[in-house]
Amino acid sequence: MVVLSAARWVRSRLSDRFWRVQEVLKYARHFRGRKNRCYKLAVRSVRRAFVRSTKARREKKRILRALWITRIEAASLEHGLKYPAFISNLVKSQVELNRKVLADLAIYEPKTFKSLAALAQRRRQEGFLAALGDGKEPEGIFSRIVHQHY
Amino acid sequence: RYVRQLQRLQLLFSPTAADARGARQFVEEAAQDFARQHPDVVLYVSPRSGPGPAPVLRAEYLNGTVREELIASKTSEEIVQLATKLANQSGLDIIRIRKPFHTDNPSVQGQWHPLTNKPSILTIQGPRLQPQ
Repeated sequence: MVVLSAARWVRSRLSDRFWRVQEVLKYARHFRGRKNRCYKLAVRSVRRAFVRSTKARREKKRILRALWITRIEAASLEHGLKYPAFISNLVKSQVELNRKVLADLAIYEPKTFKSLAALAQRRRQEGFLAALGDGKEPEGIFSRIVHQHY
Repeated sequence: RYVRQLQRLQLLFSPTAADARGARQFVEEAAQDFARQHPDVVLYVSPRSGPGPAPVLRAEYLNGTVREELIASKTSEEIVQLATKLANQSGLDIIRIRKPFHTDNPSVQGQWHPLTNKPSILTIQGPRLQPQ
């Protein structure tokens, strides 16, 4: 007789259950407790770990920026400047260095950072003179703006 | 000048197994052209007699890494694509690189330590300084 479909009482059974389980457990190997061994607990933990790592990618940018700001604040306080004064005066002097580079300079090139702090301090003084001295003195040297035409 | 990082490609398969059909077709048709196009890669074809493990394409690189790719039940064209992919790789491990940069000398002016910006009177070690 011609059989076009499997008889209804025939069931198919999984043969590669081991590898399907290992695919999940390999991401749980460094966990603590039974979640690194038992599949049922590991599935839940691995899923939560992935969700958390996806969300943390947005937080990482914020955390790193806060870390750089802390470090720049500490370094500029060593040279007698507060962080808002330092950053605002650097921007006014057209020094477009981002916080990551400033933090690296503060750690690995302390003399460069000292000269940047001195530049910000000088620009700050010129700003005070321009605001309070009322126009009779010449403009400060470091307050000049360089215009670039592209 | 470009130095290809792939040293040798070993094609291990059994001449009678059914899943090594693509490997046998590759050896008959495309292996010579592949070897001519990549003159600095040595291609070894080693048939294993009898029923053995699955057919495998083993790539050895100049830094010592050995990478094995299964070619069971693959067509000849797919094996050619796999082989060119392995030939264009370097032998570095395929993991997430933590930083896209690396320096051996990160500090030119001397790394910061808590005494860099303090007056140098604090670092002098000698006979007891008299307070002025």
